[in-house]
Amino acid sequence: MNQADLPANQVEPTSPPAPSLRVSSRAWRRWVDSSARVVITLGGWATFVSIFGIFAYLFIEVAPLFDAASWTESASVHVDPVDAAEPETVAVGIDEYMEVGYVLRKGDIAFYALPAGTPVLLDPSVLSGAERSRRMPEFENGEITALARSPGKTHTYGLGTETGRVIPFYVSFRVTFDDDVRTINPVVTSGEPFEAVPTGEPIARLAYRETDSGPIAAALTGSGRLFLTKMQESEAGGLFALETETELLQAEVIDEGVEALSVLLLDDLGETLLGGTKNGRLLYWDIQDIRNPRLMGMYSAGTAITALSWLIGDRSIVVGTERGAVSVWMSVIDPDVGGDPRLQKIRDFASHDGVVTAISPSLRDKGFLTTDASGGVAVHHSTSGQTLIQIPGNGAAIRAAMFAPKTDGALVLDDSGRLIAYDIENEHPESTFSSLFFPVLYEGYEEPHHIWQSTGGSDAFEPKFGLWPIMFGTLKGTIYAMFLATPLAVLGAIYTAMFMRPNIRAVVKPVVETMAAFPTVVLGFLAGLWFAPLLEQIFPAVVAMFLLIPLAVVLVCIGWQFLPSRLKGQPGNVTELVAFVLVLVGTVCFCLQLNHQIETWLFDSDYKGWLQASFGLAYDQRNALVIAFAMGMAVIPTIFSISEDSLSNVPPHLIAGSLALGATPWQTLTKLVIISASPGVFSALMIGLGRVVGETMIVLMATGNTPVMDMNLFNGFRTLSANIAVEMPEAPHGGTLYRLLFLAGLLLFVFTSIVNTLAEIVRQRLRARYSQF
Amino acid sequence: MPDRIKKFLDSGALFIWFCGTAVAASLLMVGGVLLLIMINGLGFFWPHALVEMTLTDGTRVLGELKGEEVIPYSQTPEFPEGRTRVRLKVGNRDLYGLDFRWVDTDRIATADSPNDVAAFERREWGNFYGRIREVARGDDVVATGNQEGWKALQPLIERANDLHDEIEHLQRDVIGDINFEIEGTRLRIRELELRGQREAPEVSELQAATKQLETQYRKHVATLRALSRQLDEYSVVLVETNGSEKRLAVGQIVKALRPNDMGLIEKILRYFVNFWSVLSEEPREANTEGGIFPAIFGTVMMVLIMSVAVVPFGVLAAFYLREYARQGLIVRVIRIAVNNLAGVPSIVFGVFGLGFFVYAVGGTIDTLFYPEALPTPTFGTGGILWASFTLALLTVPVVIVSTEEGLSAVPQEYREGSLALGATKFESMLRVILPCALPGILTGLILAVARATGEVAPLMLTGVVKLAPALPLDHHFPFLHFERKFMHLGFHIFDVGFQSPNVEAAKPMVYVTTLILVMVVIGLNLSAVALRNYMQKKFKASAV
Repeated sequence: MNQADLPANQVEPTSPPAPSLRVSSRAWRRWVDSSARVVITLGGWATFVSIFGIFAYLFIEVAPLFDAASWTESASVHVDPVDAAEPETVAVGIDEYMEVGYVLRKGDIAFYALPAGTPVLLDPSVLSGAERSRRMPEFENGEITALARSPGKTHTYGLGTETGRVIPFYVSFRVTFDDDVRTINPVVTSGEPFEAVPTGEPIARLAYRETDSGPIAAALTGSGRLFLTKMQESEAGGLFALETETELLQAEVIDEGVEALSVLLLDDLGETLLGGTKNGRLLYWDIQDIRNPRLMGMYSAGTAITALSWLIGDRSIVVGTERGAVSVWMSVIDPDVGGDPRLQKIRDFASHDGVVTAISPSLRDKGFLTTDASGGVAVHHSTSGQTLIQIPGNGAAIRAAMFAPKTDGALVLDDSGRLIAYDIENEHPESTFSSLFFPVLYEGYEEPHHIWQSTGGSDAFEPKFGLWPIMFGTLKGTIYAMFLATPLAVLGAIYTAMFMRPNIRAVVKPVVETMAAFPTVVLGFLAGLWFAPLLEQIFPAVVAMFLLIPLAVVLVCIGWQFLPSRLKGQPGNVTELVAFVLVLVGTVCFCLQLNHQIETWLFDSDYKGWLQASFGLAYDQRNALVIAFAMGMAVIPTIFSISEDSLSNVPPHLIAGSLALGATPWQTLTKLVIISASPGVFSALMIGLGRVVGETMIVLMATGNTPVMDMNLFNGFRTLSANIAVEMPEAPHGGTLYRLLFLAGLLLFVFTSIVNTLAEIVRQRLRARYSQF
Repeated sequence: MPDRIKKFLDSGALFIWFCGTAVAASLLMVGGVLLLIMINGLGFFWPHALVEMTLTDGTRVLGELKGEEVIPYSQTPEFPEGRTRVRLKVGNRDLYGLDFRWVDTDRIATADSPNDVAAFERREWGNFYGRIREVARGDDVVATGNQEGWKALQPLIERANDLHDEIEHLQRDVIGDINFEIEGTRLRIRELELRGQREAPEVSELQAATKQLETQYRKHVATLRALSRQLDEYSVVLVETNGSEKRLAVGQIVKALRPNDMGLIEKILRYFVNFWSVLSEEPREANTEGGIFPAIFGTVMMVLIMSVAVVPFGVLAAFYLREYARQGLIVRVIRIAVNNLAGVPSIVFGVFGLGFFVYAVGGTIDTLFYPEALPTPTFGTGGILWASFTLALLTVPVVIVSTEEGLSAVPQEYREGSLALGATKFESMLRVILPCALPGILTGLILAVARATGEVAPLMLTGVVKLAPALPLDHHFPFLHFERKFMHLGFHIFDVGFQSPNVEAAKPMVYVTTLILVMVVIGLNLSAVALRNYMQKKFKASAV
């Protein structure tokens, strides 16, 4: 009986060994024993908990990707109500820390500290004197009748006056840090006004944009005339001249439907003008030559268009209508036809209950915010096509809105004069299950595609997070590697287990298993820098080897039967092994020697051209064939070793019985050994599969790592594992890419776990079955 | 006759032959790869003979012969087949642009190996092959001609190398110490500031100390400058085989050899000297030249820390599974989980290590204990500790499985005998079972170390760098710097082979690194196998 199994209450847990007393020494021993039990149990469990902890942790990091966005109202300030005639002249804005908001109406601007709602005075260095604190001098030229925010810029406006002029107007926030305390001071400046309506009529609707070459305005008068104006800056007097001359280019747009225009929009390069009309038309002008605007197309959006906006990058257009419909349009150029771009509706989003009153695009991704006449606010994301947030309204129409610069909030102003700030929790708008695993229509593409392209040059780049190309690459590498490794490893295991003399086996098995010890970085280096260039040279010979080696084996085998057994010796001895090696080496050398001739005979003396011409396959130096060899090499020892174990563990008395009953070794093999060991071979293949799927260094070093999708044996691919290795060092902590790479890790984890569990269960069953004999 | 064919097919001989060929192919692959690594890696240290060729157009080529091949047909279709060309390492990268050159065999008029040509290993631009025109001190010529110059140059190179050692010592040890202290006082001041004790008397003391350190620093920099001037004092004019000259400071030359003038013994000695210098020196020229000492050191350190972390957990878990836990469904599930962990791709561990150790644990440690250094992360970035822990997780199944094997090999009678004699369970574990299972534990540890030595992917995310400014172990308190980044042999292969600007020139270095890595890993594996065999034999004998 184990002493530790005695009741624990006989133990004094805290007493140190008392001198001379035997009882106490026994108690001490018992205490040590039971605490050792606790420590070992805890240690054991700690190890297992950490194993499961890995899975849990990966899951925790991935989960936020699929979290729904959420919102809270963070502040509400009461300002003067917006009257019915005013909407065209109202704008709101918020700084990037969401601490200061402003309301701009008719050229008056008021700042409010959020969430307290107290008014904030402007930086005194910008404006001096109480009078100027609210009104800029230019504004005395006339009443402000229209306002437009310059798309792509945070707080840049064009103000249209009743005298037909446009005043550039800038709001900025000066952030200072003193002792880690942040102070935000608003700054207001204005630019040089210019004439946008030559007739001097009041501007009713305005589109304004500051481009690299100067501001552009499209102004619609109350009488329905549309004027385009560009202030073109040109440098006078050579390269280093300080003075620049501004030239005013102007034209009137005379096209059908102009008088019905309700909204206008200009692009960043000053090349296109968009207009939405009261009868639901979307008009599309080419204004590259500003003096000769040309209507390229007219499209129907259903009901009256009430709001229009670019998404960042100026390739997608968001259209809001009277009925509350929200859709994204894209300009596409048919590559076969060429010519003018066409507008095409690509996505519809959840509708609003009332008229769409404002659209505010995000300045960092393809998200945007829409508001309606019943006070509702919604946040959408174009790439994923989802409406993330729908905030119900209280009935008062929203007149102006702005999506916060970091897309973590919004500021809206409604008819009743309520200025509301929302906090928006919206970390990963671009990732949904369908945008990750199904084809998506990205900007600039004709149709939906699976694409992985996580980062681009600018903020305007649309990240493409299609995981499928990478999963496909993983699959491709796995299939080709297993294709090569499986026959070599399993056949080799069969020979080693069944036909080889034990003394040779004792050498051969460890040698093959040494291969498992090769660090994969070494195999990757050899594959990428030694084998890939070599294969490019000897490709015809390698093709010939695949054909000639089986042939040579058959021929030599037949010849072998006629050899006197005096020469052959016992089957399975060294002579036989040497014969195999010689056949192999001989054929390989033969093929290498004839490399050039083979290329002439089989491939028209240029195998690359031949592949391209016959199958349309391109040949890259670092391709799937190289990977097949390298990964095959990494996995052959694993499969070989486990298969060999299960084959040689078939109980010997079964084999002896079979042979005693008169079956040949061959019959014993096919009828008995392979059948009873097949679960073991299966689990060997599964474990090999698990290794190949997650192999990183070989793939990283010996493929081009291009996420392309085709099964071509002669070009590269990118796998989940290599993708993690390539992109993780650049992925910002906590960002969408970071979590997606965790998702890739999780996928690998889950896949290999399933495969390994399957293998392990099969192996345990097999072990139980053998132990019955 | 058909009978015979049928009998032949029935005998399965054909299939057996295919199986045998598969074994042969696997063996050839192992042998081939080993051979490839050995030839390329071991050949690196040999002082290769220099060949000077005169081509048919009268120009001359000098360099090491690196191989010969038949010109691929596709490149010269207009010429007859079977023409060969040789590849020479001609060095002189600053003059020629490329280190290697192909020369068609039929364009070579004469070729010989003159004794008076030398290979100069330089600190920049790779090797120079050629002769000496003159050696000068400033503007005064000290020696002219190849022979005179050679004699004059030898002591100068030695002196320059001594100077380099001195500069290195100053830079690394003396100035490094001062920088370390300056950084320490800066952090201390910042710490006091954060605590709101900006006006504390300690601050002004620290500022004064910084000033003093800066004065010291300037003094040493002045010494450093003087030493560099000494390095540039002597210069040598080298001339390549076609007569172009190149003047360079003697300080630029690491060593000069005349391989054609060396006897066999001398070459063999040189071979081992070269071998040792690769093992013991720092890398140069974006890791493509010099030695790989920091990479070896980093690998060893990482593996040691990993071993300390992995053994207790692995052994405890194995003892629990095999000796303490009640065998049942839970234990079966746990075994499967352990096996699964062994099959999880290493990059997944890297991802986990980055997210959990680096950002979660490391970030927390930084905010709690190192707020003064923020926003520069201390533990919140990859480092040797996190890399070791990540690899410990990766290798814990190896230790568990191996220890379990060791435990299961201990005959049941031992346990029963020990308990029957009155030992408690823990005592019999400690005194009887553990010693018997020790070879198993050791096997597990060795296999774990072998696996960890060769792993690269998880390290790339958790703290390995191409060039670490400092070793993770030095004489500054607390001596072992767990937060430092480190270099690693496997990553060295990846980095030098795939991310260096001049891959062709870097290849020998990659092969050498590969050779060392493979030797270490295979050596470890073989010792594990030997240990396991010993264990099996021992218990087979005692079980009878």
